[in-house]
Parts: sequence; C-alpha cells; structure tokens
Amino acid sequence: MTALDCNDAPIDVRGEIITLLPERAAFWHRTATLLVADPHWGKAATFRASGIPVPSGTTRDAVDRLASAATRTLARRIVFLGDLLHAREGRSARMFESLAEWRLSNTGLEVVLVRGNHDRRAGDPPGELKIDCVNAPYLDGPFIFTHHPIKDEHGYVIAGHVHPGITLRGPARQRERLPCFFFGSDYGILPAFGDFTGLADVEPAEGDRVYAVADRGIMQVY
Amino acid sequence: MTAQLRAGQNDMLAPAHEWFASHGWAPFAFQQDVWKAYLAATSGLVHAATGTGKTLAAWWGPLLEYLIENRTSGAAPAVPLRVLWITPLRALASDTAGALQQPVSDIGLPWTIETRTGDTAPSTRSRQSRRLPTALVTTPESLSLLLSRENASSQFTNLRVVVVDEWHELMGTKRGVQTELALAHLRTMCPQLRTWGLSATIGNIEEARRTLIGRQARKSTIVRGVEPKRIIVDSLIPPVIERFPWAGHLGTQMVSQVIQAIEEGNTSIVFTNTRSQTEIWYQAILAHRPEWAGTIALHHGSLDRKTRDWVEDGLREERLRCVVATSSLDLGVDFSPVDRVLQIGSPKGIARITQRAGRSGHRPGASSRITCVPTHTLELLEVAAARDGVEAGSIESRCPVSRPLDVLAQHVVTMAVGDGFIPAELVREVRTTEAYHDLPDDEWEWVLSFVSNGGDALKGYPEYSKVTPDADGRWRVTDRTIARRHRMAIGTIVSDADIVVQYLRGKRLGTVEESFIARLRQGDRFVFAGTPVEFVRVRDMVAWVRRAPDVKSIIPRWMGSRLPLSGELAAALRARLGEAAAGIFRDAEMEALHPILDVQGKWSRIPAADELLIERVHSREGFHLFFFPFEGRLVHEGLAALFAWRISRIKPISFSLSSNDYGFELLSPDEPPLHEALANGLLDASNLLDDIPASLNATEMARRQFREIARVAGLVFPGFPRSGKTARQLQASSGLFFDVFQRYDAGNMLLSQAHREVLERQLERTRLGTTLQRLSSARVIITAPKRTPPLAFPLLVDRNRQRVSSEKLGDRVRRLQRTLERAAGKPVER
Repeated sequence: MTALDCNDAPIDVRGEIITLLPERAAFWHRTATLLVADPHWGKAATFRASGIPVPSGTTRDAVDRLASAATRTLARRIVFLGDLLHAREGRSARMFESLAEWRLSNTGLEVVLVRGNHDRRAGDPPGELKIDCVNAPYLDGPFIFTHHPIKDEHGYVIAGHVHPGITLRGPARQRERLPCFFFGSDYGILPAFGDFTGLADVEPAEGDRVYAVADRGIMQVY
Repeated sequence: MTAQLRAGQNDMLAPAHEWFASHGWAPFAFQQDVWKAYLAATSGLVHAATGTGKTLAAWWGPLLEYLIENRTSGAAPAVPLRVLWITPLRALASDTAGALQQPVSDIGLPWTIETRTGDTAPSTRSRQSRRLPTALVTTPESLSLLLSRENASSQFTNLRVVVVDEWHELMGTKRGVQTELALAHLRTMCPQLRTWGLSATIGNIEEARRTLIGRQARKSTIVRGVEPKRIIVDSLIPPVIERFPWAGHLGTQMVSQVIQAIEEGNTSIVFTNTRSQTEIWYQAILAHRPEWAGTIALHHGSLDRKTRDWVEDGLREERLRCVVATSSLDLGVDFSPVDRVLQIGSPKGIARITQRAGRSGHRPGASSRITCVPTHTLELLEVAAARDGVEAGSIESRCPVSRPLDVLAQHVVTMAVGDGFIPAELVREVRTTEAYHDLPDDEWEWVLSFVSNGGDALKGYPEYSKVTPDADGRWRVTDRTIARRHRMAIGTIVSDADIVVQYLRGKRLGTVEESFIARLRQGDRFVFAGTPVEFVRVRDMVAWVRRAPDVKSIIPRWMGSRLPLSGELAAALRARLGEAAAGIFRDAEMEALHPILDVQGKWSRIPAADELLIERVHSREGFHLFFFPFEGRLVHEGLAALFAWRISRIKPISFSLSSNDYGFELLSPDEPPLHEALANGLLDASNLLDDIPASLNATEMARRQFREIARVAGLVFPGFPRSGKTARQLQASSGLFFDVFQRYDAGNMLLSQAHREVLERQLERTRLGTTLQRLSSARVIITAPKRTPPLAFPLLVDRNRQRVSSEKLGDRVRRLQRTLERAAGKPVER
C-alpha cells in the first residue's frame, strides 16, 4: 500500500482516484503513476551560462523532492507533462549526473516525458536516463496526458504549461497567493514542479475545483 | 590679487562681455566668478534657481579657455571632444545643445556641438563612434555606454571639463552614483579634468559639492547664483467644501477655476505631480474649452522628442496659451517665464514648489507666484504648510546614496566591457567617489566575485562566468553576447524597460513603462499624449495601438507617481494642525478646511503638535487602527510594519497595512491587543536594530526593493529589441531571484543591499528613529469613532497594501477557506 499521509488529498477524476501531493505532483493510484508538470530542470544553469548569476541548488532540490515523492507513493511509473528541461544552454553535465545517479537506483521505474514547448528547443534528455520521450498526446485510461491544457473530446486532459497559482482573499483585506492544482470540466492542470518558476493566476468558474499548496499540505479552496 | 593681474583677467573675459553686449545683456557677477575660477583650473558647483543663467556661467569658461589658447589661429580644423555636458533628462539634451550652439555660431568658433542620448539616431551614433564632437551633451547612461566602448580611453584625451546639469536631481539617486563613478574614471584618464555642477539651491549644498567633485585632491568652490525672487504661494479654494469629504476627493471639479486663472494671463504652465494627472487635466481643460485646441499642450518625459520640441518652442514663442506638464518642465529648458504657474495637487516639498514658482514672473525683481489647486480638500493644509516652509526658507536636502553594490557591479562590468581593468587600480579609483569612499575590502571582493563566479564565496556558481582576467591580469568580458546584453542593461538603471507606443500605421507616440503595458489586454483603451488609443499587441518592445473612438477609457498609471511629503513640509504641517487644534485658522486655506476639521474634532480629535492620535474603528471589514504621526508616507510605511510586527508578538494575528502622508492603518480580522502593546513598548525607540529588520522580513518590502537592484545588477534585463523568442528563456521576475537567493545563497550581498535600501532610503531610518523618539514622549490619545473620520478615510480606501502576520500560512488559508464557504451560500458576485 502507498504511504500517503494526512496532508495528501485524494480526489476523484473521471472515476479514477488521483492524490494531490504537497510535493507539487499528483499520484494516479490504479496505475501507480506519478504525474509531474514543468520541472524546468537546468533553468538556473541556463541563466548562469548566459552571464546572469543565479545560485545553484534549485534542480538538485527538485530531484530530491521527486525521489521522495516516488519513494513514498511506491510509484511504478513517472509521467512528465512537458518542459522537463528548460533550455539547451542549461544542459550541464553536472545536472545529468545527479539525475543519472537517482535513475540508476530506480531502474524498475518507467519514466515517460510528454514533450512540451521547452523540450522542443532544449532537446530530449540523454539516453542513459532511460526516459521515453513521446509527443503529446499520450493516452492512458480515461486520461490524455499533454503539455498544453486544451480540451480534447477523446478523454480528460491532464496538463501543465500554465504554472497555475491562485489568489485567495478574505476579511480585513487579507490575501495569499499560492501554487495550485486546477481541475475543470475538460482538463486538469498541475502546478509547476520546478522551484525557479513563477505563477500565473487561474480564475475558477462554477464547478471547477482548485486545490492550493500551502506549507506542507493541500487545501481545496474552490 | 594685483591690479595688473586683474586687468589681464578682464582681458581674458572680454570676448564673453562683448558677446553679452551684442545681445544687449551684461553678465551677472556670479557668471564672471565662475569664468575666472574655471580659467584658474578650479572645479565647482553653481547653485541658483532654474533659468537664471547657470548654463552660460558654465559654458563661457571653456569657450574663453579655447580663445586664449588659440588666439592666433585662423580657420581651424574641427576641434575634438573638450566638453562633456551631462543632463539628467534626455528631454533636455536638444534644448541644452541649442543654447550652447548660440554663442559658438555668433563668434564663429570651429566647434561642433551634438547630443547623444537614447533618442540619438543610429546614423549620428555611428558618426560619433568615429569622431566625437567638441562638446557632447549626454545623459549618465549614455556616458556609461561611451565608457563601455573598446577604445574608450583614446576618445577623451582632449577633454577639459565635465559639466553636470541639474546635479541636485541626480545626486540623491543611483544615477547620481553612476555619474560619480563615470566622473572618477574620466579623472583617471584626464588628470587635469575640471568638474562643474549646476544645481538648484538645496539644503546640503556643501555635500552636493563633495559628491560631485569626489575625493581626489582638487581645487573646488561653491558659487551662489542670483538671489531668488520672492515667492507668493496661494491657492484656488473650492467654492463649496463638503462637510463629509468622504475621500475629500475633488478630481477635476476645480477645472473652471483653473480655466479662469489661465485666462488671466497670456501664458501659463499647469504643473501636476504625475504623468497620468497631466493627461487627465489636459482632457478636462479641453472639454471645457474646446476652442483652445491647438493652443494648449501636454509635456511629459514619456512623450516623443518631436512633440516635446514643438511644445517647448510653442511656449517660447507664446503660440501656446497653456502647457500641462510634470517635472519634465521643472528643469533646464530655458524659456522666458510665463504669466501664471498653477500646481495641481500638493507640491509635497518646499524645494519643488520654489522651483516651479520660479517659472513665473516676467519683470526683473518681480516676485514669482504659484497657485495651488487642491485635488483633495485636505491638501489645502499642505499648501498652508508649504507657504510657511517657503517663508522660513527651509529647503530640503538631497541625501546622496551610499555605496550601492548593484551600481558598482554594473560599473565593474562596464569597465570590463570597455578597455578592461586591473582590480587594484579600479578600486583605488572607485574609492575616490563620495559614494564608495568607505567601501570595505570584503564588499569590493564580493562585487569582483559576483561578476566573475557569482559571488558565492565558498563554491562559486557552476557554468557561470561573466568577467575573467586575461593573461596580463586585465579583467575583461570576452563573450560578445554578454557584452551586448550588458550595454542594453545600462540604460535601465532608473526605471522599467520603456516600451515604445506606436500606431499600427506609422507614427511613434512616445514610451511607457513595460509594467503598464503588461497589464493591458487586446482592446483595452487608454489615453496617451492626449489621444485615446486602443491597445493591439506588443511585439519587439513596441506596443502597437490604433486610434480609439473616444476618451471614456483608462489613463496610464506610470510608476513612481506617489511622491512622499518631505520632512520639512511634514513639520510645517504638524504645526498648522496644532494651531487648528487650538482654534487658530489664520489664512484662506485653513478657513476653508474649518468645516472638515470640525467633523474630525467632533467625531474624534484634531491632534495637537505634542499628541499622537490613534483611532480604532470596527467595520464589516474588520478592526482598524489608524495612527497619525504626520511624518510622510515613507516613515509611515516603516512605522506600520514595525507596529504591526510588535503587536503580532503578543498574539497570532494578521494585518494588512496602508500608509499615506498623514498616517497609517493596521487592519486585522481579529481585535488587536492595542493597550497591551502600548504597555509593552509599542512606541519605544529602543531595540530598533533588532525590531526593524524583523518587521521588514515580515513584509514584502525588501522583496519589492529587490526589483530595482535586480535590474541594475543585470539579473533582469529588458530583452533585445528584436531577438524575439531566444530572450524569453532568460526571463524571470525579480521576486523569483529574491526567493532563490534567499534560499540558496543567503550571503548574497545584493540581498543585504535590498534590506539596507529599504531601511535607509525607503524608510529613512534616521527619520524613523527621531519620529519614534517624538512619539514615545507624545501624549497618546485613543478615540473610538463610530464612523471613519475625515483624516482616516483616505487610508481606509487605499488598496495598495503590505501584509504582516504571525499566524501560520495554513491557518490563514483555512480562514480564507471559511470566508469562501460563507460566500458560497449566497449567489456568487462576479
């Protein structure tokens, strides 16, 4: 059985159970699949290579976070919903080494990348990482995994690209802006997994479900 | 001085006297003083009001020097660069060049005079890169760009003098520091270089001289220009003062009185404090007097050059009846004074009102008059206070910026892009500036490592290198893309990237900050340069617009529009309120305010000079605490953060804060423990060293301040004009940089600079300390009005807020969740 805790939020999407994780990833139970959107690995390195000083550590932390999410959910498969790598300039040997190290200790894991707009310029990850790279859409069960959230009549779309965030307002002019998961009638959008990424506000309509990532928990806010 | 020498000197000055005489003028004594000092190889600072002959004072020195050196020569070849003339506003460059050209043409000198700014055409630039003119009028940014060229040092071998115009405008800013660094470098290249500054009169003129001249041992002097004219400050009083001035907001209600005032003279300038107000008032005046179309005009720094030139010429030739302007007309531009000067809104400072008033008054010896037009009834109080300040001559100081590391990092890269540098030599040069005279070794080392390996002392950033030493130990930028990007970034020291506003078919209207354009969606309408336009799209740093049918649209809100009240004016204002508390209403403004202050007194209290008024109001929004120290918005922002943080130590609570020039508000969903906080040293001036940084961390202030730092230090760059997609992968907000630095490189000195800037520049730490000392000995008056009294109302409706909380994020979100659930019970408001 998977080791979920009280901070995780299992929800029903088209009859399937998907658990939203505070690591900013989602877990599809029936197929033991970890869903991850927009890691943008090598983004900080891209900046550095272009003469803009950004400290290193963001990608390493993200890899650790991914490893711990995969371990505690006992995932058998990881599906990246695009933008795994940020740019060609950020493809550093150092980064791929740390990824390879993790991949070597998890050889049983199947890893799929559904290419996004950044991947097209940045290129696929090196072969020794054993990541199957496919073009969108990638179909499985009731779901269509893709990078851009666009309605598709063949199934429920699960995507990334947007880096969704939500602004909550309350009494006494209180306000919080947080990364979120968004599930509408046609598609769901996962928060960006990478740390060095911004947020774009989503505006939920009637019937949409929005789950904010706050501290180490998931809270439904719409 | 012997009689003989004096006679010799008068000989030397003769060409200037002759030229003045040929125009029917005689030079002022101060102008002759400047010429003599210049010829005696002295540097200096000239201070006087705008339009009193400072330009000719600085200009004739170099002209006379040339005439003395070239007495015998006949038709001479073009003379290489001798004079650099630095102006803070590129809008002023062409005007200045014109003024410099006049005597040169009259006496037929073989001098060329050109400008070089962001507006300069590429053809002119490329000609200048082969050969610079004899006198170059430029901005601090363009000067830095000149220094970043590879053959920089060979361009300046004949340079005799740098004249810095409007030095008072520059010295309190990072552009002033940029200028100091460029001056220090020019002095290294040309050891005989003289520096002359032209400045309005400010409170710390001696410090202004030191900052300009730097610390290399040099002769320098201060010359006081013509004595200022007497200034009359009056105001247009609204005919009816509402007793419940909810916002007190008058908007353009005063327009018919303004028109009446304009009609009293042949020419007028209507000054406003923000560019958006210029647009609003221009529209309002035209709506009331459509027949004035063509004889009234707009003037602000965002307008295209051609439009500005047309306006300035129009004023000179009295073709225009009225010009609505921002500070772009405060400075430089030499035209004869106009009949009437009006000021929309509070002038916010005594120096500013003096400067603007100086634009009026034709006859020599006559007084200048400025008429203030309140946009908010309470502003009448500020007008009354400003008059007191003008009469007392309490002109504000401009506080120079102390060793900003972002500007230094930028300069170091500029030097590396140009001829390269030897660190030991460069730091010696940098320390001759006032801004960096006390630069500690560790900060210098950090800047060097920031531009070479990222600045992390232990590891350095992998894959990163911008500046590297070559085989001879000379530090250079070798990557051409990095060099190009750096040159692009030099111009962005003060503001957001400017975006050109242009019609789909053709004409360029001017520029606007990127942050404004970023909020627009296709089809949104706004007024620009008096014309309603519809936003179509942004491409290649150009905002494409088309003409919109009418004016019922939004107005651009440019950044930097909220001027804080100066300390001098704030003190005068407290005195005036104190009088009102004692029942003294001694002029028209105070009389007009009487009914509002009555309501304030009845519902709460008019605070006397030795009182601190705190109002507690409970509303549907929550619990409001209003504090009224009357110290200006900057100090209030700091106090609000500090008080919110101190109260939140007592119990977990969340505040949203708003501040204005009169006071600040702490708003919370739960009742704040005010009495307990007061008993526990809420107003204490002690422990500030610990409490202030802690309260800053609780707000987003440092994160906000980091915007500018990230831009200057080259982290966030405006993008290449036509590079399209490739630049996008290098875009991240300054907030993201701030977060990443905080988490992965907490020792990054740009972070500490952000904190230091918030403390010293934004919150004026010294004023914060003095204010607390005053407050802790003040009599605290707590009132609990049932409705919001007049003084508090503007704070209540302010939407621009900071937040401080001692609750856990999860708890805060949970409360927001509950609110949403309650709201869900009712039909959703949309």
